[in-house]
Amino acid sequence: MSQMKFEIPKIELMKSGHVACPGCGASMAMRYALKALGQNTMIVIPACCWAIIDGPSPCSVNGVPVFHTAFETAAITATGIKAGLSRQGDNDTTVMAWAGDGGTFDIGLQALSGAAERNEDIIYVCYDNEAYMNTGIQRSSATPWGAWTTTTPTKTPKSRPKKNIIDILLAHHIPYVATASVAYPDDFIRKMKKAKSIRGMKFIQILSPCPPGWKSAPEQSVHISRLAVNSKVFPLYEVEDGYRYKISLNHKNIPVEEYLKHQGRFKHLSKEQIKQIQVDTDTKWEVLMKKVEMGELFSEN
Amino acid sequence: MKKNALDFKEGMPVSAMSITDMSKNKTGSWRYMRPYYQNKTAPCIKGCPTGEKIPDYFDKVKAGKFEEAWHIILEDNPLPGVCGRVCYHPCEGACNRKDLDSPIAINNMERFVADQNMANGYPKHFHVEKTEMKIAIIGSGPAGLSAAYQLARKGHAVTIYESLAQPGGMLQMGIPKYRLPREVLKKEIKDIQTLGVKIKTKCTVGKDISWQNLQMSYDAVLIATGAIKSRPLNIPGEEKKGIAPGLQFLREFNLDDKKEIKRKVVVVGGGNTAIDCARSAVRLGADVTIVYRRSHKEMPAVPEEIEEAEAEGVKINYLTNPVEFIGDSRVRKIRLIRMELGEPDDDGRRRSVEVQGSEFEIEADQVMLAIGEIPALDFLPDSINAQWGRVDVDSFQMTNNRGVFACGDSANGPIGTVVDAIATGKNSAFTIDAFLNDKSYHFINNNNVVGFDKINLDYFHKEERPAEARSDQTKLTNNFSEVNLGLDKDQAKNEAERCFSCGYCTTCDTCLVFCPDVAITHSDNGAPYTINYDYCKGCGICVYECPRDAMAFEEEIKWKTE
Repeated sequence: MSQMKFEIPKIELMKSGHVACPGCGASMAMRYALKALGQNTMIVIPACCWAIIDGPSPCSVNGVPVFHTAFETAAITATGIKAGLSRQGDNDTTVMAWAGDGGTFDIGLQALSGAAERNEDIIYVCYDNEAYMNTGIQRSSATPWGAWTTTTPTKTPKSRPKKNIIDILLAHHIPYVATASVAYPDDFIRKMKKAKSIRGMKFIQILSPCPPGWKSAPEQSVHISRLAVNSKVFPLYEVEDGYRYKISLNHKNIPVEEYLKHQGRFKHLSKEQIKQIQVDTDTKWEVLMKKVEMGELFSEN
Repeated sequence: MKKNALDFKEGMPVSAMSITDMSKNKTGSWRYMRPYYQNKTAPCIKGCPTGEKIPDYFDKVKAGKFEEAWHIILEDNPLPGVCGRVCYHPCEGACNRKDLDSPIAINNMERFVADQNMANGYPKHFHVEKTEMKIAIIGSGPAGLSAAYQLARKGHAVTIYESLAQPGGMLQMGIPKYRLPREVLKKEIKDIQTLGVKIKTKCTVGKDISWQNLQMSYDAVLIATGAIKSRPLNIPGEEKKGIAPGLQFLREFNLDDKKEIKRKVVVVGGGNTAIDCARSAVRLGADVTIVYRRSHKEMPAVPEEIEEAEAEGVKINYLTNPVEFIGDSRVRKIRLIRMELGEPDDDGRRRSVEVQGSEFEIEADQVMLAIGEIPALDFLPDSINAQWGRVDVDSFQMTNNRGVFACGDSANGPIGTVVDAIATGKNSAFTIDAFLNDKSYHFINNNNVVGFDKINLDYFHKEERPAEARSDQTKLTNNFSEVNLGLDKDQAKNEAERCFSCGYCTTCDTCLVFCPDVAITHSDNGAPYTINYDYCKGCGICVYECPRDAMAFEEEIKWKTE
């Protein structure tokens, strides 16, 4: 069999009519997430793109209950809802916090850290589009080094590397942490289902292409996501119990330049700067490989 | 009473909550580019002279519907069992997959489908209501058979005149049995006869029936006599005993089972006839050498055939040409001269030029000349124009004589191969039908061909082309069993899956899965999918991701104005 066949649940909880930009990665991500989690799900959305995408009150595009909340409170609101359901004797409903990188990496970090430390039984999904896209493409701590945003213009692009949110979450020793990509819906859905099956805190980071913010062509969103994975800028892996690392698929060896060149936000980069990004990416991949090895070492004992 | 969020107060919920979805928000109004499904032409279809719908029948093979696959091939070619064995498969040369790993084994797939249907006859809908029209076809080779079949499918009464005792033309007398078992040919000719096609064998036009008689009794006449006269070399000593056309040897052997062969056989020429002569002679126990004036690259025979011939012990002398046959009354030796390649000539092959003073001699007891064949058109009246020894036809296969058509090797146009003969036979059938009904006719132009750059390689990985089974050929002498045995069911299904299916939707769901607006659904009206243009924002992910370019993307304004 030459072409991979998708094995994706047929159920469509997210409906048409949402107001995401054409080619939005976050809308694809929500579609897959709900396909995986099913009808018995509640979503908590803080201030982020998805607060708008879902539709104005009294409309919602998602066929499950959605609770809109303040920017910094996604994790704690989800915790509260889960506690409330539990108090009513409902331990089956999945509660998912669905926040952007601003609400996760920056302003919502304390609530997230708190929920993780308490090992609350929620799924926290960060759809990471690497800047405050909804308010006009301002830099966040998820914006990669060298990228253009409206607050890091091309003369002085972002001078600090992207925050490693996965490592922060792993430091809390929670049961399940994973990265996922909209270019690999099978893998995405498998991870969401796995997260649903685990009790305790789950964290999933999704690289979510943003055509207006990344200055990329809407039709290339899936293609760019695939390049991000295969250039190892955004490798796909999962970590169980804080140390058992598992790489999700065979990453092809694609130079980062392939990934960068499709995006206007990296257009100003010089050859040397691209080389620097390549070196950084390779180093991070090496480190990840070492962690995989160490995880194997511990698993044997 | 407990306060419930679902208790409405004056028609409104007590707290801010969703009471409806976003279906009222028709985001389709944002769109300025429109995606739509558009099946395009796969390069193999363009490469096939008869235009077989290859991805179409592959789809049926995948589903195990071998009979339906056969019906699809039959639309364009009534001889898949023959072509699946002897065709030079230009489809494979055009296949996009060759740029990733290796081309799809299309030739073997065609044979597989035909082999699966050896016990089946034509479906009911092939038999149509008869018309009043009568058509005579001269020659029952691939061109004549193909034309007869297509005309019969339009309801016309067809009679084929064949001068030999058995129908099939070059397929019967030229192609050796180890390449084409005769039961396959017989079966496919019998199928054509079930449509009411009459074949009068041992009936030579100009001898047993006059041309005038033929033209008077039929509404249209089609000349499909092929090229059966071997071209002479025109060098000294050519009249000596032991020197004969290769085709004559093949005909006597294939039809009359004449097995006279000398020890040292030399075949002159580099086409398929030369290879067929050489491999047949090897099987009769001769020591065979082929003499060809150009190099391996220019050799017109099918490369696999050349390889197989060499493996069977045929020696090939490239860049040599005979200048004289030596011997008393019988040929004993051939004087050869070395050639070198010069500038390309009109057909793009490099011209061969003699190297002065490089003559040498080789021994030969028997010589077969296979440097090309030309039509024998002596039976035709002078009023029918010929050019370069072939009947002159226009783009509708019609001669200067209204109602007289010609196709295959006897007419000018693409010549020399079975599939070209089938293609021109098919075309002439369609134009004869249009002529008889006084209609205009347009050939289907397979444009919009999908190039390799349009294939999304993210969805395909490298895979081996299946190796076909071969019969045991260790004992060659008197072994005329079929050499190639084709693919088995699993191999055929895998090969159908390996096909990119360029420009032809396979319902792989890629578009449906990646649509961010949930605007693509499975269709219930026969088309694979429906795009809901009320919500499609025109992001184009479906078009960009389509693995096989079965979609198109166009400015919305073009749709609005039309």
